[in-house]
Amino acid sequence: MIIVGENINGTIPEVKNIIMVRDREGLLQLAKRQVAAGSTFIDVNVGTGIGSRQDELAAMQWSIDAIQKEMEIPICIDSADPLIIEKGLEIRKGGRSLINSVKADDVNLWKIVRLAIQYDARLVGLAMNETGIPETESERLEACRKIAGVCEEIGFPMEKVYFDPLVMPVSADSVQGLVTLKTISAIKREFPDANTIMGLSNISYGLPGRSRVNAAFLHMAVYAGLAAAILNPLDQEVMSAVKTACALTGQDRHFRRYLRSFRTPAKEKSEQ
Amino acid sequence: MNEQEILKKISFNVLQGRFRSEDDGIDEGLEGRPGVEDLIKKGIAEGVSPKKIVVNALTPAMDSVGKKFESGEYLIPDMLASAECVGGAMEILKPFLIKDGVESKGKFLIATVAGDLHDIGKNIVSIILKGEGYELIDLGTDVPTDKIVAAAKEHQVQFLGLSALLTTTMRSMDEVIRKLTETGIRDHVKVLIGGAPTSHEFADKIGADVYCSDAFKAVEYLKLVRSA
Repeated sequence: MIIVGENINGTIPEVKNIIMVRDREGLLQLAKRQVAAGSTFIDVNVGTGIGSRQDELAAMQWSIDAIQKEMEIPICIDSADPLIIEKGLEIRKGGRSLINSVKADDVNLWKIVRLAIQYDARLVGLAMNETGIPETESERLEACRKIAGVCEEIGFPMEKVYFDPLVMPVSADSVQGLVTLKTISAIKREFPDANTIMGLSNISYGLPGRSRVNAAFLHMAVYAGLAAAILNPLDQEVMSAVKTACALTGQDRHFRRYLRSFRTPAKEKSEQ
Repeated sequence: MNEQEILKKISFNVLQGRFRSEDDGIDEGLEGRPGVEDLIKKGIAEGVSPKKIVVNALTPAMDSVGKKFESGEYLIPDMLASAECVGGAMEILKPFLIKDGVESKGKFLIATVAGDLHDIGKNIVSIILKGEGYELIDLGTDVPTDKIVAAAKEHQVQFLGLSALLTTTMRSMDEVIRKLTETGIRDHVKVLIGGAPTSHEFADKIGADVYCSDAFKAVEYLKLVRSA
């Protein structure tokens, strides 16, 4: 499954500082550690909440440039602003990218899907519209339909779409976990060629033992059809859950990846 | 690649449990490299003798897998992945081996006895022995005694493996052996038994030839019998 490392996020105080002072080493450390822990994509969100749009454009440019000069890792360009997304894609120069994200609105949807086509990127489609996050799975599915409709109309393949069913804290509303899971299933039923992705940790906001809740929820979501997760790859309990979830749903033939984490380094490495 | 290199690579990939090139191995990062399937085909195309592939690559690799399984280094999925490689390899090699006049190691009939639906252990034994070059006839689970005996007679098998996982069904093994005797073919068939509730003592008591605690014990026993 695709693991998007979420730790480069300008709303986290230390990261905000790294971005503001252009601490290249600090940024690369964040990226390297996430890759070493098993991330297959690195999310880059440079929104610090205080700068101007111009600041954000410059920060996106600086971050992606620094990371891609140092390592070859697909990047998840995290912004709702088409201008910043485009800046990121431009800097990527055709490197594998995932746009995170677009929602079912009338303002940016067309624009961002066109960008995905132009730059041959994958695209996260949020199951929400301009009025916010719907409470029920049927309304969330409706938002996905709108996004799918635009993709179809201008020729963006469903295989490159990652629908995000949206994850709300269960501490505030105990049925929200189930709504997310049902939305994943509904998306998989209606758009079998599309993928699903979700930001995992929001589920446990406000609860103790967050890793445990996140890990448990991940298992359920993978069973429902989740193909990708945005998460903290440095959380070992969650990363273990990725392995067990894939193994238990037949996505890890002969339990290779699961067993590897229990092995001492193998001796037979003598293939010439 | 010369012959030695091909044989070495086949052996390496059996240990890694990689049949197809897209398969993940024990070690990380082998996906996309040729697996046992491609290497065997390449070997044949380059004139490596099929018998050499069996004797110098597949057999020693599987022996090594057996040892690793015994020591706990390899677990059930690892063993099955390797056995699958050898099973797949034998499928490719079969026509060439027949053409070269290399005989199978013998016919092995296997079944889980009447009333018992467990099949994992039986299937593992079946895969491993197929990989070892035996001709397997698998009757499945919950097989009535008469059917087992009739099949043993019809196919003139040299070996019969019986599996039972329940204390209530292991008694059927006794019945199978008695029927084999009544039919007059008991002396032509070696009977191997296995399954959690069975034991050496039980094998002795019902007159089976051997009790095997796992698939590799069966391999060991068969080697012994064949060399006798």
